[in-house]
Amino acid sequence: MSERARNIRARALARTLLPALLLAAACSNDPYPPGDAAHKIYYTVFREAHRTLDPAEAYNVSAHKVTGSVYDSLLEYHYLKRPYELGPGLARAVPEPQRLEDGRVRYRFEMRSGIGFGPDPCFELGGAGRRSREATSADVAFQLMRLADPALKVQVTDAFSAVQGFREFRERLILRRELDPAFAELPAHKQYAALGGMEGVRTPSRYELEITLARPYPQILYWFAMEFTTPVAWEAVQFYNGNEGRDRFADHPVGTGPFYVREYNKHLRLVLERNPHWYGLRHPDALGARYPERGAPGDAEGDLLGAAYRGRALPFLDRIEIRLEKESIPRFNKFLQGYYDASSIIKESFDQVIQADRLSPQMRQRGIRLARSVAPSVFYLGINMEDPVLGAPAGERGRKLRQALSLAVSSEPWIELFLNGRGVPAQTPLPPVIFGYNPDYRNPYRQQQDAKRSRARELLIEAGYPGGIDPDTGSPLRLSFDTYTLNSQQLLERQYFVDEWRKIGVDVRLQATTYNEFQAKVERLAYQIFFWGWSADYPDPENFLFLLTCDMRRSTAGGPNTSNFCDQRYEKLFAEMALRGNDAERQRLIGEMVKILEEERPWIELYHVVDYQLSHGWLHNVKPFGMSHPMYKYYDIEPERRAALRLSWNEPLTWPAYALAGLVLAALVPGVRTFLRERQ
Amino acid sequence: MLAYVARRLGYGVLVVLGVLLLLFVLFFAVAKPEDIARRALGEKARQEAIDIWIASHGYDRPLWPWQQPADNQLFDHYARMLTFDFGRSDTDDTPIARRLAEGVGPTLSLTVPLFLVGLVIALLFGLFVAFFRDTYIDATGVFLCVLGMSVSLLLYIIGGQFLIGKLLRWFPISGFDPAPVVVARFLALPVLVGLLGVVGGDVRFYRTVFVEETGRDYVRTARAKGAGEMRVMLRHVLRNSLIPVMTRVVLAIPFLFVGSLLLESFFGIPGLGTLTVDAIRNNDFATLRVMVFIGALAFIGGQIATDISYAFVDPRVRLE
Repeated sequence: MSERARNIRARALARTLLPALLLAAACSNDPYPPGDAAHKIYYTVFREAHRTLDPAEAYNVSAHKVTGSVYDSLLEYHYLKRPYELGPGLARAVPEPQRLEDGRVRYRFEMRSGIGFGPDPCFELGGAGRRSREATSADVAFQLMRLADPALKVQVTDAFSAVQGFREFRERLILRRELDPAFAELPAHKQYAALGGMEGVRTPSRYELEITLARPYPQILYWFAMEFTTPVAWEAVQFYNGNEGRDRFADHPVGTGPFYVREYNKHLRLVLERNPHWYGLRHPDALGARYPERGAPGDAEGDLLGAAYRGRALPFLDRIEIRLEKESIPRFNKFLQGYYDASSIIKESFDQVIQADRLSPQMRQRGIRLARSVAPSVFYLGINMEDPVLGAPAGERGRKLRQALSLAVSSEPWIELFLNGRGVPAQTPLPPVIFGYNPDYRNPYRQQQDAKRSRARELLIEAGYPGGIDPDTGSPLRLSFDTYTLNSQQLLERQYFVDEWRKIGVDVRLQATTYNEFQAKVERLAYQIFFWGWSADYPDPENFLFLLTCDMRRSTAGGPNTSNFCDQRYEKLFAEMALRGNDAERQRLIGEMVKILEEERPWIELYHVVDYQLSHGWLHNVKPFGMSHPMYKYYDIEPERRAALRLSWNEPLTWPAYALAGLVLAALVPGVRTFLRERQ
Repeated sequence: MLAYVARRLGYGVLVVLGVLLLLFVLFFAVAKPEDIARRALGEKARQEAIDIWIASHGYDRPLWPWQQPADNQLFDHYARMLTFDFGRSDTDDTPIARRLAEGVGPTLSLTVPLFLVGLVIALLFGLFVAFFRDTYIDATGVFLCVLGMSVSLLLYIIGGQFLIGKLLRWFPISGFDPAPVVVARFLALPVLVGLLGVVGGDVRFYRTVFVEETGRDYVRTARAKGAGEMRVMLRHVLRNSLIPVMTRVVLAIPFLFVGSLLLESFFGIPGLGTLTVDAIRNNDFATLRVMVFIGALAFIGGQIATDISYAFVDPRVRLE
């Protein structure tokens, strides 16, 4: 064979084989580049593109996954201890309140030195070639002033309204921007400085921050353990303004946390890497810079206090990759394939994962672990206390009617039916993980036995509605249950309550509307019963019990008290309870408040969510935190073990492809041969 | 020909204006400014924030010119689209032009292979079944094509993810990564699933065209002169069937840029199809109108390009 012929044949062979080789290379379900398997990379998901990652605006679990890793706070929670314990973070200590003579309260934070922002080109605004700088108290003060800025979509302004001059600063800002267009064009930090800052926020020195509250609000310290009060660099806010092709600051977080954003495509993935300027590297003895030596009871048995980790410097991970995964089934399947390190349990696979209230043998065989925890949350049926039939205007009749409605619905079957048992029946607004929860307390109007239904009927008689009949009309009492969802599954869940009330003779009609239409009804007070929930911002009973205070009434103050409950006895007890530390007296006050709620029934408490968190055996130090604080800096990965297991779990099955090809050939060849023979 | 193109463009402008008007009417018949604001700000946003958002995005202005001739939303809607000033997304204030630029790559990386591979397979399979017409191969081929056309793409997606992604473990179940070393893995399954959805109809169409063509005199003459079957099918039949093939192909090309709503959305490909689905889900009128506008332009462009391509393929065709 000539050289030329050989070349032609080789080229033809290559041309034939190349697509096959490319396809063979593509034939793997591993979604990650090959080199990544050797690194300590934690893989997790976000379910929809983040609208904002600005620490002043971000207020949901998904966004906090990122902001909580990129932005550090002055205080932080102990990772393992329960009840939750607040300790120092960027600050050297948790400040003590200093009571001033005129009733004001002052907190003085002393920040650590050497706190560095994650590397970012925005710092060139402060000097050519700069990629980072030290964070100071002025950066925290800047962020506190941003919280009052009406140009930002801040959802927690109420919490900071206790800071002296907070509202006034906001109003001055609005006014000056309206009157002076040149002022409105200045960068935010220059505007704030031109206004003289906020009265209650002062920075006596580079590392000192002084916060003065116009009234006592001890819970303010919890807000200093959240990203809302993190140091923010003016350079980042000024540089990332969305102009000239640059990102918005909401899409480009720059903070002092243990990780910084290396790559962000909000419709694809977000990659965090270790921040080389993190304060923990300079202060290895700080509480948040090393793995805890001690934890809650049971942590040692649960692999959370292993000798390999106790006291070791954080973080353990090299990188965190957060990928957009909108659909729950593919997301969960990828977890089972080993491509995500942890996951919640989707409803569709619950029976496959949990059997007889524990992990199924199939899951245990894979080394998957289950962590269960009660989230600091409560879901309830609220009753509009300003309604003439059900509410306070109906007096004793209304109270008896509310009590009957409360007795008629059971939480337990509902939790089994619709949550796969992932809930704790609620007796009061307080979940078990919050101070004030009394495990021995049983709300007489929230018991689940059938016998209680006859008591509900008696209460209806006492309310003047025997057999559920309204004596004024002679027909069953008709009430409305307003629901702000049109989702068929959620409507089915609500229908359960309607059917339960029907059993005692009360005709409750489900009114399904959009969220906006529901809000419009709330504005007009044209609603009676509704389904609602609350997740704690911080682990204090005040964060639950304030939901039923007069100041938070939706009808008068636009607050979250959609029941519009207002009771002067409750109010007095709340004021006293809110200012106390966690002691026996506080427990007693809470007990009294709960008694009032028990009788008045503005809420029919349903359940507290129980989180089921799955994680693979190669992921260590996972303890569900409950509140929206990511704790990735404590996580560790065994990359070699993960790589080996992934390979063994995901070897492609190729024989079906060959079998299919053979079948097609076998079906075609006789026909082709016959046809061609006939043609000839 | 220029006069013809100009006339078609004129009609096209009218169609685009009509589509934009229809979108405006339908969108605001079901969505109120408060709905858009709440989707952007979150359900628990305070009324004050909602009012500020509505005012800052101009949704507090009257909808129609007769309500306020100088400053109304309909006029603004047309002005923006016709000057290609796409503005920012209602959901997160991202410049829409930037989002389009980011999305077109992933979209084309899905739609171009799907289109090319689908075209080659449909043509070859169409020729194949036409060649074996009236045999069991033809009947089975047609049956499979009708079956393929009759099943919902959604079923192929879910079935494909389960069978190929989960059980056979050939490709990732979903996701996307533009890195050259792994991108083929992510595209293989959506392309395969997409082929199942589109190839059936194409094969049936091309088969009909080829069967009609193989009955013509010149084919008999070619065979009589001793031309081989491969030569007859590929050289003569295929070439003379190009006009209907071209109609289908050229019309489809502009839509490659619009993306596939279902495939992108279910496989997590961050292209223009996903952008459209997200815009619908989030009541993002600013983005939705841009996508509808681009879709309308693609349709008009496809129609005109098809007409022009006739003239190139068949010298007998004159555009007047």
